[in-house]
Amino acid sequence: MYLETVSGETSRILELPAPPSRAAVAATDLLDGVRKSWLWTTLAQQDVKLRYRGSILGPFWQTLTTAVMIGGMGLIYAELFHTELQNYLPMLTVGLIFWMFIAGMITEGCGTFIGVQGIIQQVRLPFSLHAYRLVYRNLLILAHNFVIVPVVLLIFPHPIQWIRLIELVPALILVTITGIWVSVLLGMISARFRDVPPIVASIVQVAFFMTPVMWPIQALGPNAWWAQLNPLFAAVDVLRGPLLGQPTARYSWTILATITVFGCAAAFAFFARFRSRIAFWV
Amino acid sequence: MKKALLATSTHGNLGRDALDRINIRALSDVSIDIVNGDRVGLVGLNGAGKTTLLKVLAGVFEPTEGRLVASGSVSSLLDTQVGLNADATGHENIILRGMYMGIHPREMRERAFEVAAFTELGHYLDMPVRTYSAGMMIRLAFAISTCIPPDILIMDEWLTAGDAQFLEKAQRRIEDFVRGSSILVLASHSTELVERWCNRGILLHHGRIMSVGPIKEVIAAYRRLIDPSAQDAAPQMAAVG
Repeated sequence: MYLETVSGETSRILELPAPPSRAAVAATDLLDGVRKSWLWTTLAQQDVKLRYRGSILGPFWQTLTTAVMIGGMGLIYAELFHTELQNYLPMLTVGLIFWMFIAGMITEGCGTFIGVQGIIQQVRLPFSLHAYRLVYRNLLILAHNFVIVPVVLLIFPHPIQWIRLIELVPALILVTITGIWVSVLLGMISARFRDVPPIVASIVQVAFFMTPVMWPIQALGPNAWWAQLNPLFAAVDVLRGPLLGQPTARYSWTILATITVFGCAAAFAFFARFRSRIAFWV
Repeated sequence: MKKALLATSTHGNLGRDALDRINIRALSDVSIDIVNGDRVGLVGLNGAGKTTLLKVLAGVFEPTEGRLVASGSVSSLLDTQVGLNADATGHENIILRGMYMGIHPREMRERAFEVAAFTELGHYLDMPVRTYSAGMMIRLAFAISTCIPPDILIMDEWLTAGDAQFLEKAQRRIEDFVRGSSILVLASHSTELVERWCNRGILLHHGRIMSVGPIKEVIAAYRRLIDPSAQDAAPQMAAVG
């Protein structure tokens, strides 16, 4: 297309390529975000450090909190569910740590763009960068919390098929990608509709009690398959299974993969359409 | 009635749509061409749309109609606080703010000494920036944002809060850039500053371009806008006998 412009007394004709489609701009944004990995990894590391600035334990304060919670819950609920501490505590530990990772991304994901309003309105950066930063930060916290797992598994040993630990790789990748699309989608919706973050927080809280993390799925008896359809359970299950030497529930991988694919598609469509409005919404 | 009143009193820029939401049209029909070596001064009353236009030029806001075509790296100084971590020291913030500009920490560390020297803040750079005054923040922000000559430099009015000595230094640095065929777009209420630094001007009024051209003409138009009764002729006195 041609554009004639006037600048003082001179005018010139610019030949411009047709403006890129929304989808192309969105895809470029996602890629540019990845290319700036040095920026979001550094910012995420700084986020984690700042949370604990001044404390002695630093980010391992998070680990201690989690350990105390697991210890307390483990003792009481093992009694309540009439299971052996030997079996219950490892299940609770591993499940809870991964739950905190997933639920953390969902709840914090609402604030992906709202939280960086200052930056969005001052500097031009790929929007995806903020989602990557959030997910990476949660991965770092997961890593800090994960220290508890080998300790618990040593105290209450379980037969583990070591080869199955490889499953953790695709599992973590799928869950991480889910974290990214959730951050983008919820982040955008929350930026436009500010009552979404507290609603999501409430839902996640309730979901914690409805998902077999704190209670063993066997406790549901013949109705256990209902709980298996819960996508949050699917996500925790694929991560938890290899570490506990338990078989992954039948539908978990399918559900997780489906959620990832459809979620990414939905988030991408929404992102492509409304990306340019984010700066106005925050 | 309320809708009509709202629309009329704000020159059609503020209105309620069918769903009774308030819409703001900050800029209308703004079409400009800025080329290498241009130093453009953006003037206008408060609420004219200067900062909005700067944000569009910086790529922060995407135009809802029309297009922005920019070739070259853009460095925007719209806010001194961006990317600064109030509890971190001046030195740490140099690296941090550089990151937001797209400069890798490794590269920024090489320039850290020059940047620190330009700020002339000395040992204050070891203090957390929440202890800085506004003027010190400006020195820091400007030094960091201009350590790598950008192709396009976009500045908002806070620069005028710097002291005279700093402004002189800043002017020299900017002149260096622009001689190297960069573009400067500066919004300011200070007509003296704009006249000194810029060669072209744009006068915005209620989101529309009222005047565009050589800076002196635009500033004259701006002065007429502020005070329509002012005469350019020398003041006269009548003797009453």
